[in-house]
Amino acid sequence: MQLGKRPVWQTTLIYIGLILVCLFFLMPLLWILRTSLITKAEAYQIPPNFNVALTLENYIEVISDNGFGRYYLNSAIVALISTVLSVVLGAMSSYWLSRQPGNMTGAKLAILATQMIPPIVLVIPINTMIRSVGLNDTWMALVLAYLTFNLPYVIWMLLGFYDNVSKELDEASAIDGCSSLQTFFKVIFPLIAPGMMATAVYSFLVSWNEFVFALVLSGNATRTIPVAIAALETQNGVKIAELCASTILAILPIVLLSSFIKKYLVNGLTFGSIK
Amino acid sequence: MATVTLKGIKKIYPLSDDDKKKGKKGLFKKHEEEIEHEEKVNLQITDQGTVAVQEFNLDIADKEFIVLVGPSGCGKSTTLRMIAGLETISEGELYIDGQLVNNKPPKDRDIAMVFQNYALYPHMSVYDNLAFALKIRKTPKDIIDKKVRDAAEILGITEYLHRKPKALSGGQRQRVAIGRAIVREPQVFLMDEPLSNLDAKLRNQMRAEIIKLRQRIDTTFIYVTHDQTEAMTLGDRIVIMKDGFIQQIGTPYEVFHHPANLFVAGFIGTPQMNFFKTELAEENGQYYVPLFGVKFPMDAAHMEQIKEKGIKPQEITMGIRPEDVSICYEGGVEATVDVCEMMGSSLHIHTTIEDKEIVVIAQSKELPEDKQLGFAHGDKIRLHFDGHVLHLFGLDEKNLF
Repeated sequence: MQLGKRPVWQTTLIYIGLILVCLFFLMPLLWILRTSLITKAEAYQIPPNFNVALTLENYIEVISDNGFGRYYLNSAIVALISTVLSVVLGAMSSYWLSRQPGNMTGAKLAILATQMIPPIVLVIPINTMIRSVGLNDTWMALVLAYLTFNLPYVIWMLLGFYDNVSKELDEASAIDGCSSLQTFFKVIFPLIAPGMMATAVYSFLVSWNEFVFALVLSGNATRTIPVAIAALETQNGVKIAELCASTILAILPIVLLSSFIKKYLVNGLTFGSIK
Repeated sequence: MATVTLKGIKKIYPLSDDDKKKGKKGLFKKHEEEIEHEEKVNLQITDQGTVAVQEFNLDIADKEFIVLVGPSGCGKSTTLRMIAGLETISEGELYIDGQLVNNKPPKDRDIAMVFQNYALYPHMSVYDNLAFALKIRKTPKDIIDKKVRDAAEILGITEYLHRKPKALSGGQRQRVAIGRAIVREPQVFLMDEPLSNLDAKLRNQMRAEIIKLRQRIDTTFIYVTHDQTEAMTLGDRIVIMKDGFIQQIGTPYEVFHHPANLFVAGFIGTPQMNFFKTELAEENGQYYVPLFGVKFPMDAAHMEQIKEKGIKPQEITMGIRPEDVSICYEGGVEATVDVCEMMGSSLHIHTTIEDKEIVVIAQSKELPEDKQLGFAHGDKIRLHFDGHVLHLFGLDEKNLF
């Protein structure tokens, strides 16, 4: 046996094991994909019939009849605005926090503490506040609600990235003639951009998938996709085929987004280790 | 090119809330604990906070090369950072070129600084690193290009201009950091331990280059280091600091040959000066220092000063530099050789007299032929301390003369 080379049977076993693990996680997703592509009658069949014709009728129905386009737009707008706001505000707050003398333990702990509260606890108070300022059934209501957990998350995550950027760089650029804003945008920002990207993707995902706040705070006009999907569970039972089709539709942009920015994501998550 | 004047500059770091809660007593206790495993730092702690720099007064002339030197925690870097504008000045006044700059941000002080860790912008090429300050100041492109290429030429980094700092060696990075300061043509050039991250050989080489650089760009330099060799070789004047206080300001010659106090005497010069607790005694008008049962008389020059200043016989600490100890064949005191280090042209001989260690530097060609390669452990030699090379410090640790 050559050093460092496994015998074929061992490699085969390892791959079989890996495939099994993958299948375990992929199975539900594949099943949803299958159910979304068959007729409603077939979807309810138990035991399932595997020899069926594929059709796009569920997708067509979901998009044309249920107004999914509208929900898509709502989700996209809310997730995008709350992500942009939390990253912009978070990046600056976090930068300030990391550049303070001392540890700022209290402030950091407070930020972490916001992540310890189960979001559902906040739903009622936030709902009351939103109603009292007359923002109910608006995108803004959801954006503000999402900021409550996205902003602390972004601050917390970026702190680690900022701490990796030597303070001497700030000082060097101050001496080179930069104002604080110039230092931030010309020197610090390019260095933590990968981290910011990874953080932005995560907060976009969370906002896109968020359900509890959306359920309470959104109305007919501002319904987001997760709420719309849940609405397919009607008094007359679960509309399983449509539900699966809309689930696939909800996942699709995220999958596309993450494959598109995979490079940044990996860079962001391994930041520091390659320095 | 500018004068820099520091008037009663003080830096006080306020106590943090934690420290306040513990009270001053707790703070002192913490301090003592630190002393046990860290270097000894005796910064004064007042109600306002920890005083890192005390009453710093210094006039730096135009085009002068000033070196701030001292052990870690002595406040030298803090002083430099206050001049740079990176730290606020708690008390006192700082003038650059006659202008009060206490409240001016770094960018308006017309200074450039070289940092210990280079602080190059990692996402920019060497060219952009050099050009950055000029771009920020909206200098025309052709002038930037000319200045950057000139600086690169001076430092021999022209071929790396397109590289990122990551792809450079430590020495090259250091050159870029210096280049970044050169292109600015600042009034004052600040350097914060710029060579301490380089290996010994490179450090010597860069030190020589800084001397050359200085002749070329001829501006005011303020240089911080903990390395006394750097201080001695680079500085027009040296400021020696300890625990936030200035110990002595003087030319390398002055601080070496006439140290103001025990600390300076011990800090400047390697190997360190030998110290002995003894006394200054008098016999028939002639002063002498008794040591190991032998009387070493003061020379005429010292005697004159003793008369002039009216110095009385008293308890003293006597210091003598290893290179000033002479080996003799008659008289003097007998010492036993412990270790003998062959340094090439000279020998560092570590000896003991009555359990007291004394280091002696001897030029090997001045020794008898059989001893030129060194002494063996246990060899006996006789040492003589000439009156004119003795340094005498009173009980207050100040130089008597």
